[in-house]
Amino acid sequence: MLRRKFFRDIIKNKSQFITIFAMVFLGVFIYSGINSYMAGMQYVADRYYDENNFQDIWIIGTNFTKNDLNNIKNINNVRDAERKLSVIGSINNIKDSTIQINFIESNNISKFYVKNGIGFNRDIDGVWIDSYLANNNNLNVGDVITVKYGNETFDKKIVGLIIVPDHVYDPKSEAEIFPTHTDYGFIYLSDKQFPYKAEYMQYNSVMVDVENISATDETKVNIENKTSNWIAVTDRGDDVSSQTYKAEMEEGTTYVVVFSGIFLFIAILSVITTMNRFVKKQRTELGILKSLGFKNKKIMKLYLSYGFWISLFASILGLITGPMVIGKVFSNMVIKYFAIPELYTIITAETYFVSGIVVVVIALVTYLSCRKELKEKVVDVLREKSPKENKSNINFNNKIFKKIKFSTKWNIRDAIRGKARILMGIIGTTGCCALIICAFGMLNTINDYVNWQFNELYNFKYKMTLNRQYSEDNYNNIVSKYGNNTSQTLNVEIKNSESKEINNITVDNSNGLLKYTNINRKYIELNDDGVYITSKLAERLNLNVGDNINWHILGDETWYNSKIIGINRNPQNQNFSMTKKYLESLEINYRADSIYTNYDMSNIKELEGVDIIQNKDFIKNGTENMISTVKSMIIMIIVAAIILGAVIIYNLGILSFTEKSYQFATLKVLGFSTNKIRSIFIEQNFWVTLIAIILGGPLGYYITYVVFKMALSEDYDMIAKVDNISYLYGILGTLIVSYIVNNILSRKIKTVNMVESLKANE
Amino acid sequence: MDKIIELFNVTKLYNIGEKEYKALDNVSLEINKGDFVVILGPSGAGKSTLLNLIGGMDSVSEGTIFIDGTNITNYNEEALTKFRAENIGFIFQFYNIFSNLTVLENVELVNDVVRNPINAKEAIKSVGLENHINKFPTQLSGGEQQRVSIARAISKNSKILLCDEPTGALDSKTGIEILKLLKYQCSNENNTVIIVTHNTLYTDIADSVIKVKNGKIENIIKNDKPKNIDEVNW
Repeated sequence: MLRRKFFRDIIKNKSQFITIFAMVFLGVFIYSGINSYMAGMQYVADRYYDENNFQDIWIIGTNFTKNDLNNIKNINNVRDAERKLSVIGSINNIKDSTIQINFIESNNISKFYVKNGIGFNRDIDGVWIDSYLANNNNLNVGDVITVKYGNETFDKKIVGLIIVPDHVYDPKSEAEIFPTHTDYGFIYLSDKQFPYKAEYMQYNSVMVDVENISATDETKVNIENKTSNWIAVTDRGDDVSSQTYKAEMEEGTTYVVVFSGIFLFIAILSVITTMNRFVKKQRTELGILKSLGFKNKKIMKLYLSYGFWISLFASILGLITGPMVIGKVFSNMVIKYFAIPELYTIITAETYFVSGIVVVVIALVTYLSCRKELKEKVVDVLREKSPKENKSNINFNNKIFKKIKFSTKWNIRDAIRGKARILMGIIGTTGCCALIICAFGMLNTINDYVNWQFNELYNFKYKMTLNRQYSEDNYNNIVSKYGNNTSQTLNVEIKNSESKEINNITVDNSNGLLKYTNINRKYIELNDDGVYITSKLAERLNLNVGDNINWHILGDETWYNSKIIGINRNPQNQNFSMTKKYLESLEINYRADSIYTNYDMSNIKELEGVDIIQNKDFIKNGTENMISTVKSMIIMIIVAAIILGAVIIYNLGILSFTEKSYQFATLKVLGFSTNKIRSIFIEQNFWVTLIAIILGGPLGYYITYVVFKMALSEDYDMIAKVDNISYLYGILGTLIVSYIVNNILSRKIKTVNMVESLKANE
Repeated sequence: MDKIIELFNVTKLYNIGEKEYKALDNVSLEINKGDFVVILGPSGAGKSTLLNLIGGMDSVSEGTIFIDGTNITNYNEEALTKFRAENIGFIFQFYNIFSNLTVLENVELVNDVVRNPINAKEAIKSVGLENHINKFPTQLSGGEQQRVSIARAISKNSKILLCDEPTGALDSKTGIEILKLLKYQCSNENNTVIIVTHNTLYTDIADSVIKVKNGKIENIIKNDKPKNIDEVNW
């Protein structure tokens, strides 16, 4: 019989139970969705790096001989080492392509993950191609591509479509942050397929696999000491590919903390209030059961089951569908940029735990509310609890209050008595407003970053990346035609009292085609008597203007001491900058590696001495394409925020409505028209919405700020920006949700049956 | 005498599940202006249904109702709302006053719906609560709360006061005081007061007594010389 009561109570109070279900579902859905994609990323990467033996140490150099390789292999803790020659070329089958061509002798370190075709075999006369690049250009196993490297052009049959652990994140240049995989990628060939004479084969890197990863630093020092021809010895910590991937996962952690945290918090808060109210409403029925001789334990079990089963079902559904929907959307987004094996979502033990905790918290609240009622004597529980005396310090008899219209007075008093309900409404609606503002703010911030980077800092149309071996003639030809606006990037090791850092210095000779902004984003000119550091890097390294840094160019042991003379701010690169004049004052020879121009180069496909010609607008478009992907995430946040707002406002309304139906009935009896009662009812929700909007604005900005502060990797420094129109969207969105929900709810007033409501109250 | 309430062959049906329940069955009656009327009957007899129909809280299934010469039978909800606001003062067993409003505010409340209300403070004074106007209902006794309810009805300046077991939740001494107040409204302010009760002692003080049983009028007793409230042995 109690089971029947259970089901009938649920049907009778379906609105409340539907909102409980919706809130728990939404909270767990978002949490498990984001968490599952992040866990999937972590798991897939760990397994991929592990199974494909991702290299532990990178040795970059000029010409590693067989002897060098053997020396490295003999170093303590080195398990294996392989040489590689990486050069830049192109594939004629792909328009305007820039291809990293790799020649290898073996493939036991950073092994291929073969998506189609066969694995590496030194004796095969064929080419293994980046599967992303191949797919985007309709190339498949068996097709023949024409590879151009230097002056040589050769045809090769594709024998495998692959991805490689080294190329998880592989943009064309540091200017292009989101790889498009359309005109840039990699191919691998056996060293036997090297198109030139064998003596020209100069391996420029060695991949090292270590036994004990914790002894990597010591191994690096040993390599530096026992090997010649090296320029830089780095490890996974300096690897842009794996570090960017790691940063993406950290970004996911921010989303888990910020977004699902907000949703779960509001959901639990809302459910707690609703369950507490439900038990209080059931007070006399609880008393009847008690008077009939039901044991407290049995009554408790019944009431616990309301919150428990509803939240359990909602939790399980959220747990299953979150990864299927949100996890999938995020995974699809991530896999566009990161070349990893198929990405899937994983429900972690932590997700099960959090979902379980949600159920336990709701059951606990039900238990506590129920226990409070059960503690009372049967005779007391059978009676309705008389309303608490108003202990508010507000003087309701002052002149101002007396002049306020009835509906306002009524609502103020009601709000004071139902503080928890009102607070829950304000928090939930504030969350809705803030999340909408944040979603649009994210879009504003990214647009602002694109504008800052590509319109304010890049004052050129084309960037030419020079070949390492370019000749004086090549250089002179280019600058005479396109202008002498150049820069050089020095890979350096920086030492200060606290730490060592591998980074780079941009040596500027661009004559204003590269611009610099200070921390307030105002343009600055570089002076010739020291180095500049970007603000985010300065903060991380605890450096300031006036401090000195010691540095040396990788591959050269001469150390320099430079004074920091300024702090600049850059959204995309955190490094040091100096002028050519300052570099030369340190008696370092300047050799440009990039040339910038505003001449039209749209018809120039290649230039002697130039590896890559990049159109700024093309890079910008690539970044803007990424924004369209971000938009799908933003739409998801907005939809979730609207559902959250709607459910919270509906819940607030339904609680208020249920508790006041007898009051509305009395007003009806007194002759108040339905519209008048509706306006009283709506007024309270309107005030809640108004307060929520006032709080939601700054909170929306703050969440945007936190997201960009926490989620971005060390390289990025975007300034959180929320346009006025975004605030307007948030406000309008919240108002519309509030208006629609209130309208639906207030229609219920028409259905209040005076006779039944008043009788029920008796 | 002027008739203020006239019911002709009124039937009220309720559907309970698939069954039809006749709460009132072909009821006809007349009530004169300024009368103190008691509707008497056991539980489930149809007393409250009768009161609700007269008060425009519910509509008839069959029959006609005239209030002060106006046929309200076919009024829609909006018209009934206006009718209640202008003509009827309700007094309930459990007071139905708003716990979040002060005494004064509970009474002033009707200013929003009535065109010519009686000053709220005067109405409160007339029920003897002038020293409690800024108190909240929880700070008042049951009798005092019922007085607030009466003050609210008085403030509406209604022709008819409908009282559903107005003393049902009160002790006898307080109940007598409430009855005196209602009687005063009837004799001094010319209000028509209709009380629904199952307390037979009320019959002695009423101008007329309508006995209801099983949804039908059992009989209507006219009392030419109603007793003074103090004369009744309560």
